[in-house]
Amino acid sequence: MSVLSEYSPKRYLKVSLFLTVMAIAVYFAMKACRVDLASMFESLFTNGDVYLRFIDLDWSTLWHMVKAAAVTVLLAALATPLAACLSIIVAIAGARNISKPWFRLPARISLGLERALPDTVVLFVFIAAFGLGVFPAVFALALGSLGMLGKLWADGIEEVDDKSLEAIRANGGSLWQSIRYGIIPQVMPAIISNSIFRFEVNVRAATVLGGLAGVGIGYELSRAYSLLEYGRMGMAILVIVVVVHLCERFSGFARGKLLISGGLE
Amino acid sequence: MLRVQDLCKTLPNGRKLLNGISFSVEKGEFVGLLGPSGAGKSLTLRCVLGLTSATSGSVDFESPDGNTHSICDLRQNQLRRVRCHIGVIFQGLNLVQQLTVLENVMIGKLGCIHPLRSWLYGFTDREAREAFEALKEVNMESFAERRAYSLSGGEMQRVAIARATFQKPSFYLADEPVSNLDPKNAKAIMKILAQLAKKTSVLGVFHQPDLIAKYCTRVIAIKGGEVVYNGDPKISPRKLADIYGDELQELEISQQNGQELKQMVPATG
Ligand SMILES: Nc1ncnc2c1ncn2[C@@H]1O[C@H](COP(=O)(O)OP(=O)(O)OP(=O)(O)O)[C@@H](O)[C@H]1O
Ligand SMILES: [Mg+2]
Repeated sequence: MSVLSEYSPKRYLKVSLFLTVMAIAVYFAMKACRVDLASMFESLFTNGDVYLRFIDLDWSTLWHMVKAAAVTVLLAALATPLAACLSIIVAIAGARNISKPWFRLPARISLGLERALPDTVVLFVFIAAFGLGVFPAVFALALGSLGMLGKLWADGIEEVDDKSLEAIRANGGSLWQSIRYGIIPQVMPAIISNSIFRFEVNVRAATVLGGLAGVGIGYELSRAYSLLEYGRMGMAILVIVVVVHLCERFSGFARGKLLISGGLE
Repeated sequence: MLRVQDLCKTLPNGRKLLNGISFSVEKGEFVGLLGPSGAGKSLTLRCVLGLTSATSGSVDFESPDGNTHSICDLRQNQLRRVRCHIGVIFQGLNLVQQLTVLENVMIGKLGCIHPLRSWLYGFTDREAREAFEALKEVNMESFAERRAYSLSGGEMQRVAIARATFQKPSFYLADEPVSNLDPKNAKAIMKILAQLAKKTSVLGVFHQPDLIAKYCTRVIAIKGGEVVYNGDPKISPRKLADIYGDELQELEISQQNGQELKQMVPATG
């Protein structure tokens, strides 16, 4: 009967109650933070000429910006495979069906801790260790991806069809053979697909983290901002939008190809 | 070859799944295992393989080199070596869906392959050729490149059979190997199993008394975790009704040509 009760008017009552509570919460939150909608809109429109200055692009910096963007993409391209390889190992240690509790718990806990840590905090730790540059950015990106990919794949391994693993064991297969022939074939399409998606996310993250570490297009943007060179900033933003969009297209295309050839559907 | 003695399996809550199962299978025998759904047939086979640990009792398996292994006491590594000699066909078939048919067949030999080799370069050409031969025997050679998930139930069943024969074991355990097949293919598989049994031994679960009567050399019936019959494969209809319980007594039990029993038990998965 519980299935049918979902269609009763009570359900709409619940939804409207939820929306009312949300609206009240938003109102009080704005009050607490002293958000003044009126002055916010005012400053949004009175300084209209600022936007015009952005649009007046400084085309002479185009090549420079493209090179900086390439560095940013490179950060993501280095960090993603690094994270992917490391997270497979952590995931194998953290999956209930193939690991032992004394491997599993530390693996799961460290993945959880890693996810709880904001990427910028990780970055500053690495900057303290390596100084500004490419290394801290790559490591921070990789570690940021590791937490998510590791959990995703550990869960994926736990969902693998137990019966096929049992068949491998019954045929005399060892643990590592059941990983090779049972688990890898079943989780590989998801692993590759998620890695490509993560690359796309990392390109975006590399813009910010790279900027903080002093490399790439993010750094160019923040430098142009501090010098108030709006033309340069506009150019940097344009290049970022184009590059991120291209990476997104690439990621979508590659994952689509993979799903077809991997025979998921 | 195989001696099961007083095998018991009790759940923590006290429910008795196996209640003192004893039987043996000698070389050259094709033993049919039969019994109602939930009787403990699959569980018995799992205990023989060491996949489930029995509460008490013993399973002794004699490998071709003449050594006797007490499967219940073996460690994981030793189990691996014993399992090399036992070919299994599971009730759920248990193929790796994302691998090709040929790879699924080759998995049968993993016990004889060093794990390091599996990771470095996988299977050899010779193994692939042998696997292909095994597929030919079950008329599945044209499917070799297909991925397992794209097969029909009966096709998967034949791949599972090829996986066991490819292994060239000295003992076969088959859990309902013909349950998903049409009568023609079922007969073909029974013939293959009967042929294999001449040089090895086969212990198979079947839900078709007529097939058992025709191909097996002996039949063991299990009911409620106990062996209730062990002997001539041509079971009398009375005995069959006894094994399968009251529900079937209303069903008409007819005997064709005085020999062949009509199929009267629905094959349940
Ligand atoms: N891991 C388990 N935990 C609890 N109960 C189990 C477990 N495995 C099997 N059983 C129970 O043991 C009984 C015997 O199961 P088994 O799979 O051996 O039946 P079966 O004789 O093979 O039946 P079928 O003909 O339907 O395949 C069933 O009642 C089943 O529910
Ligand atoms: Mg069964």
